[in-house]
Amino acid sequence: MRSVFLPNGFTTKRSVYEIRTERHGAWEMKRVWTVAVGAVVGLALVVGLHSKTRLSALPPGQVGQRSATGAAPPRSGSSRPAASSPPPGASNAPSRVTKGSASGSSSNSAVGSSEQYGYGMLSVKVTVSANKITDVTVVNLQTADQYSQQLASQVIPMLKSEVMSAQSANINGISGATYTSEAYATSLQSALKKLKFK
Amino acid sequence: MSLASEQSEVLIHDEEVMGTVVSFELYFSGISRDRARSTVAAACDQLHVVDGVFSTWKPESPMSRLRRGEVGIGEVPPQISEVLEICSWAVEVSSGWFDPWALPGGVDPTGLVKGWAIEQITHLLIEAGIDAGMVNAGGDLATFGRPPKSDAWRIGIQHPWKADALACVIETSDSVATSGSYERGSHLFDPHTGRLVNEPGSATVVGASLTVADCLATALAVSGEAGFEQISEVEGYGLYLILPDGREMSTSDIVFVNEI
Repeated sequence: MRSVFLPNGFTTKRSVYEIRTERHGAWEMKRVWTVAVGAVVGLALVVGLHSKTRLSALPPGQVGQRSATGAAPPRSGSSRPAASSPPPGASNAPSRVTKGSASGSSSNSAVGSSEQYGYGMLSVKVTVSANKITDVTVVNLQTADQYSQQLASQVIPMLKSEVMSAQSANINGISGATYTSEAYATSLQSALKKLKFK
Repeated sequence: MSLASEQSEVLIHDEEVMGTVVSFELYFSGISRDRARSTVAAACDQLHVVDGVFSTWKPESPMSRLRRGEVGIGEVPPQISEVLEICSWAVEVSSGWFDPWALPGGVDPTGLVKGWAIEQITHLLIEAGIDAGMVNAGGDLATFGRPPKSDAWRIGIQHPWKADALACVIETSDSVATSGSYERGSHLFDPHTGRLVNEPGSATVVGASLTVADCLATALAVSGEAGFEQISEVEGYGLYLILPDGREMSTSDIVFVNEI
């Protein structure tokens, strides 16, 4: 049994619309950002928070505040002490968290948890250097069938692009849809937690 | 609810719930950090409760039991009738393009529950004294107040099939929901034909209520061009549709950002 009602203030009359064509072609050419099929928005937030853009929007006091949540307090333009020292426990799991150093700058990487998604399982390895994510790779991907493997291999580079771009994009969030991305985001988040990046 | 000022503190939280990651980005100045944190915790608790009630993946959820006919509508938590009522409204305004009753396996309000749940907790956050914020449930997001140093929230709309591009960036102070047949494989079901929608495309709806935006986005993703005009008649909601052939349609109230 269905009844019809209108939420407060809604009516059903309006509005001209326009047809827009070919506009997103321009966006592609600009390549201002790269973004993926999966909207890893949680991820974009996690990563985006560490970007220069977003941090500069906060008063200096905020940086200290965020450390109260366990976050390594990044500050734009400064070096990052937290990233250069491995997190507690990391030395016990050298295969999972690795510290590398090259010409004075150091990077850490960690493999996130294995996450199940619709048609398989994946885990993500993230590398952090100077308070920026410098690389994200999928180190373990198991799928039930070849089609899923194909699909995942198409999607994963996009997810990577999204993570990398979220660090610089001057946007607050991304609206889109999720698929493999949830597993990707979850695994990445766990990897970042291992690095105490967050 | 106001703008995030220079003195605002920010609180970021990600919660895994409802099959996705729900991200909070909250700005506050008039309340303590502990108060903000406990508010977010309460909001997350509420999301988990909603998930427990509505999940069609959990066989023992009240919604699943209702679908199997094991219990009547009077025996399940009242949120279910509330949501189903909104679903009825959505069926009407979308000319049936959104129809939880037409889905195989029994009534399934999943297409609207996420938006509804996020909208509920947004009210909770505002009432607790959070000045401004964004709650993003895997791409369906609600905003309130104003972000730091800006009049509106800038939201990138992901491109449905071009990997290296956003389709566009819009400015809004409202909620944004995007639905497409590319998400979660093809899970969009056309109530008129009884078939899954397979054509890749993307439908975004912008407006005050994320509940409404969420179900209209689902409807528009299913209907494509055919439902655009009808769905655009819902006052207060802007539409942005990317068709499988790459054409785009939008209502005039969508604010596109041309310079970033």
